[in-house]
Amino acid sequence: MNPADDTLVAGSAGSFPGRADPLLEAQARRVRWFAILAAGASALLLVLGAAVGSLGWEPLWDGSEAARAIVWDIRVPRSLGAWLAGALLGLAGALAQGLFRNPLADPYLMGSSTGAAFGVALLLVALGAAPGTATGAFAQLGLTGAGFLGAMAAVLLTLVLARGVQHTLRLLLAGVIVGVVFGALAALVMLWEPEVLRAMQAFLLGTTGLLGWTGALLLAAMLVLVLVAAVALSPALDALALGESAAASLGLPLASVRLGLVGAIALATGAAVAQVGLIAFAGLVAPHIVRSAVRPTHRALLLLSTLAGGLLLLAADVLSRWMLAPRELPVGVLTALLGGAYLLWLMHRRAA
Amino acid sequence: MRRWLLALLLALTAWPILAVTVTDDRGVAVDLREPPRRIVSLLPSLGETVCALGACDRLVGVDDYANWPASVRSLPRVGGVDDPRIERIVGLQPDLVLLSSTSRALGRLQALGLPVMGFDIKTLGDVRRVLSRVADALQVGGADAAWRRIDAGVAAAARSVPPAQHGVSVYFEVSAGPYAASESSHIGEILARLGAVNVVPGHLGTVPLLNPEFVVRADPQVIMVAQRDAAALAARPGWPRIRAMREGRVCRFTAEQGDVIARPGPRLADAAQLLADCLAGRLQGDRP
Amino acid sequence: MRAMTPAFSASALRVALAGREVLQGIDLSLPQGRWTAVVGPNGAGKTTLLKALAHLLPAQGRIELLGRPAREWGSRERARALAWLGQGQEAGAEDLRAWDVAMLGRMPHRPWLSAPTAADHASVEEAMRRTQCWDWRARPLGQLSGGERQRVLLARALAVGAPVLLMDEPLANLDPPHQADVLALVRRHVAAGGTAITVLHELTLALRADDLLVVDGGRVLHHGATGDAATHEAVQRVFAGRIRVHALDRHWVALPDA
Repeated sequence: MNPADDTLVAGSAGSFPGRADPLLEAQARRVRWFAILAAGASALLLVLGAAVGSLGWEPLWDGSEAARAIVWDIRVPRSLGAWLAGALLGLAGALAQGLFRNPLADPYLMGSSTGAAFGVALLLVALGAAPGTATGAFAQLGLTGAGFLGAMAAVLLTLVLARGVQHTLRLLLAGVIVGVVFGALAALVMLWEPEVLRAMQAFLLGTTGLLGWTGALLLAAMLVLVLVAAVALSPALDALALGESAAASLGLPLASVRLGLVGAIALATGAAVAQVGLIAFAGLVAPHIVRSAVRPTHRALLLLSTLAGGLLLLAADVLSRWMLAPRELPVGVLTALLGGAYLLWLMHRRAA
Repeated sequence: MRRWLLALLLALTAWPILAVTVTDDRGVAVDLREPPRRIVSLLPSLGETVCALGACDRLVGVDDYANWPASVRSLPRVGGVDDPRIERIVGLQPDLVLLSSTSRALGRLQALGLPVMGFDIKTLGDVRRVLSRVADALQVGGADAAWRRIDAGVAAAARSVPPAQHGVSVYFEVSAGPYAASESSHIGEILARLGAVNVVPGHLGTVPLLNPEFVVRADPQVIMVAQRDAAALAARPGWPRIRAMREGRVCRFTAEQGDVIARPGPRLADAAQLLADCLAGRLQGDRP
Repeated sequence: MRAMTPAFSASALRVALAGREVLQGIDLSLPQGRWTAVVGPNGAGKTTLLKALAHLLPAQGRIELLGRPAREWGSRERARALAWLGQGQEAGAEDLRAWDVAMLGRMPHRPWLSAPTAADHASVEEAMRRTQCWDWRARPLGQLSGGERQRVLLARALAVGAPVLLMDEPLANLDPPHQADVLALVRRHVAAGGTAITVLHELTLALRADDLLVVDGGRVLHHGATGDAATHEAVQRVFAGRIRVHALDRHWVALPDA
């Protein structure tokens, strides 16, 4: 008698439905805990962010008009914006790692980061060349808009070079090339006009200092949009993990899925980079932070990476304001330090 | 025969008098056998210093950004502050190269056997010292006279500031970031001579990267910024509340004016006058 | 009648990969309700043929699935009609649990973002029990051995519940008891009315199938029942006479002719 039949007969009285299945529940519990912890830590850091200012720790809750203005006009939108930008980067990182099926993928792989840098550099030069035309509205829309447009242009160029999304490897290659070329172009612009060097340096190292309510609301809107798209695409990411043939055999429209993923990644990184500059590492590390604690399917992974990314960038932002007040450390340096330290600790724990 | 030998002896002993040893800001002694006649400058303020000492005709090459006086614009360009073209420099066969002591080209040029002098100019005191060192190297006089002229110019600028503006608080932004010029920078020193108060204290460094909230808290009465960065100021969260923004006391410097102010060199008096004009409200394009 | 419509019928099927013609004009008709094993030497184009039938490769010529031209099938419809198990697993699903992988097989049946239904749970459990991986359904794929992984992937293919099973080397990494289990599985599937087409390089195990499709150099050399002498002859010929088919008990055994 076939032993498989034995277990079938013996076991069919047991564990159904899957929701009450204890073995499977363990993971759902871990996902819930992670989400609660990350959300709680984020809330705590938001409060901290409202209390840390240009002179270090100084909670300004004394109700005076000036204090309220400082907290509400400057600190709260900055902290919120930092969390939102980090959330977008973490989400984009998880999407990129799913699309390219590579745990070392980061959301800047398709050239969006250097494309944004190029756009910003060009605009800074233009503003310098014709300062009279830079009225308030143009300048306001200008730099973030230029960054966003630059990022989109770079991703479009990548898609054109890769001739569509048919081959992931070609997409990756084209993205790397476009990224390098735009980076070189941005460097060329900076060399040509060294007056923009200092301003570009702030952009290249990442800065949350100029985030106001407009920026924060734009980031929030983009996060909602990309999250909806990401959750919609999450089953596809799981199927893709089995390989392209298997995914196609399950009826997955591969081309549409890939296009959707590329679009989501481009929008998320473009929006984040336009507001806070190039924050390295946050997108790469956030999914790893999640995976070190839980190993969920993509639907949960995407949501948790969003939380983890927001937490990471917010923590880096608060620290960057606090450590050398009133000077600031570039926030990108801190995300690299924090994220890198965590990964090192992970490696050490695994090796031990 | 003996007279001829005596003449030779005399000539030989007189020879070292023409040679000169100068020390640059790195503390390195540079031997110059004779006054240099072919000078290359890799820092705009150093080129301006040479010209201020009356030796403009000895310049054979300048960096890409040198633009004063007008005569240097026709000189061969040998690269930027960070990327000088070594071949070009050597091709000009200079007998002295003046550059920043942190320039990466320093070691290379020295290894190629060229006499180099590196300078570090951050404060007014540095400017004075550089004037005298360069004058020594060129074996020209006039360093002291030049400094006195600069000093008098700065004093005149200080006098041109209306007494009502004494003690006014000022924020000088060097570039978007925001990077500000603190009390310890040369701009800060000039502002102090003009009687203004810099909201950025000197202990933060010469050009620190600030938290924008700091400027809102400091609430300066006058903001000085480059024209290209001026338009974006109102978009910064909390900045419209600043006194200077509300009262329209934002001085926008053109690129040319920015050059004068940013370069710590012989045009310090002009820089001081520009800043004084700003404080007095005489600067063109002050109010939109 | 269903018994009349072949599971697959192809005419003038050509596939070119990287400029090289791998399948050179194949005509075949694979009946439903039977287990067909595809055999042939390395590089004969067996995997390519299977992928072309599964519509995973661009192909020229005409292919019909269950009587309708392949182009007329919607992708989800086709995914419900045929289940594919490929060769070699890509390293991407390390973190997914065995159960999650098996549940992916239900994708063609579920509306896009819905939670698994009772029917889905039942299918997955049955498929995993049949391949004997139910007990460690919560373990991530990265922690499983090669054989355990293969069984999970098989469960995934079975969970689809499709009438047609296309499997490329389904016995990879499996030890003999589990190989026997898989063969029994396929038998049961066919006995219940399904169709199975497997690429197997283990000739003896391939001879357990109902029909043999002998492929070489991108062409079909022979298609017939495994019991026929003509089929044995074709198999011996395609391997250049290096193997011989013998009868043993009630089965056929192919042994290298030393």
